[in-house]
Amino acid sequence: MSIPELIIQTWPRLLAGLGMTVQLTIMSLIIGGTLGLIFGLLSVSKKKTLRAIALVYVDIVRGTPLIVQAFFIYFGIPAALGIRLDPNLAGIITLSLNAGGYLAEIFRGGIESISKGQMEAARSLGLPYGMAMRKVVLPQAVRTMTPALINQCIITLKDTSILSVIGIQELTQTGRLIIANNYQTFEMWTIIAVMYFIIIMILTKISKRIERRMSYGKSSN
Amino acid sequence: MGKVVIKSLKKSFGDLEVLKDINLEVSEGEVICIIGASGSGKSTLLRCINALEDASSGTVEVDGHDITGAHANINKYRQDIGMVFQQFNLFPHMTVLQNISFAPSSLKLKTKAEAQARSMALLKRVDLEEKANVYPEQLSGGQQQRVAIARALAMDPDVMLFDEPTSALDPEMVGEVLAVMKKLAHEGMTMIVVTHEMGFAKEVADRVIFIDEGYIVEQGPPKEIFENPKNERTINFLNKVL
Repeated sequence: MSIPELIIQTWPRLLAGLGMTVQLTIMSLIIGGTLGLIFGLLSVSKKKTLRAIALVYVDIVRGTPLIVQAFFIYFGIPAALGIRLDPNLAGIITLSLNAGGYLAEIFRGGIESISKGQMEAARSLGLPYGMAMRKVVLPQAVRTMTPALINQCIITLKDTSILSVIGIQELTQTGRLIIANNYQTFEMWTIIAVMYFIIIMILTKISKRIERRMSYGKSSN
Repeated sequence: MGKVVIKSLKKSFGDLEVLKDINLEVSEGEVICIIGASGSGKSTLLRCINALEDASSGTVEVDGHDITGAHANINKYRQDIGMVFQQFNLFPHMTVLQNISFAPSSLKLKTKAEAQARSMALLKRVDLEEKANVYPEQLSGGQQQRVAIARALAMDPDVMLFDEPTSALDPEMVGEVLAVMKKLAHEGMTMIVVTHEMGFAKEVADRVIFIDEGYIVEQGPPKEIFENPKNERTINFLNKVL
């Protein structure tokens, strides 16, 4: 069968797989982004214990492979607790924790790249720390972080393919299941690769546009 | 009673004792210029007055509130203590007008409209009305520092602290910033100015304070300090800078 014929035959399943991939990515980035912000803020705290908590989290995420994290959360923890975990839920937890660790580092770097004088100027006007962080430091930090944030989005999207090992029917797993039926290995993996490529290219294009629009003087806030 | 009362202030960074024993009283409407060599502790002293640096010991009272032991209320007390920095520290993601109106409106001291009207009036005072809607990076250093002064004034402070406000400026822009500060002094603002501008200190200060190695070595009216310094270290310093 030719590639176009294969596409016509399998597109509903491929699209469902892609939908799952996108869904996992978005959910994980929302939760991971929140974790990243929280742990990023902890890592720039004046309090040693808070910084230590952030450091331990980031080190665990960076110090273990994603596939091991997925196995640990899907098989390990449920075995210890005697429960069953839905693979999709386990997948989202894994990816969120993983992205959260890397995003925490991105937030820390972004916040630390803003001159101390900004925080001091805001505090000297009587603003509480939280408000100064939220309204003065973070908006500037996010701007400098934008390229790294987009990069993390792309990495997380690609990392969803690793979740195929715990049986989530995202795009890669869908491809494997289709090939198990039709043995069109070369053609199917070509189609899957192109699908990932297109999605990531679209993401890159959108992000470049956002980046350009975020330069000072043009935005209004 | 003084507007600012500093008693036995000490400040160390690790093993380095930067302020050794500072006692200082500043009365309402007084203009104090603090002079001294780099590393003498003069900026640290200024930063202790609004608790940007925590005192290691001693007390700093502003308006009768001890700000060294007042971490719960420090945000409230800081509203009355304006600060102008060497590097301006304007918020680059806000327009000039937003820079000035931001704190009073965010802290709900004024409505947004009130804060903006007040900000425009302040911009007029520093002669930069036409720059209300541009971003700081589009301004010269002197203009940025004038906006920074307006930003501090927007909180209606009782005391203004200036930390080497002209040191980062090109020479031709120093005058415009000093002119604004002079005007402020004549209007009766209580000001504490760390500066290398001896001309300004001579002309505007009610009292000049010379700091060396963490101590106030000598203080007095500018005429006395500049024309008839008594301490040897003051004489040495003045010989170098004048």
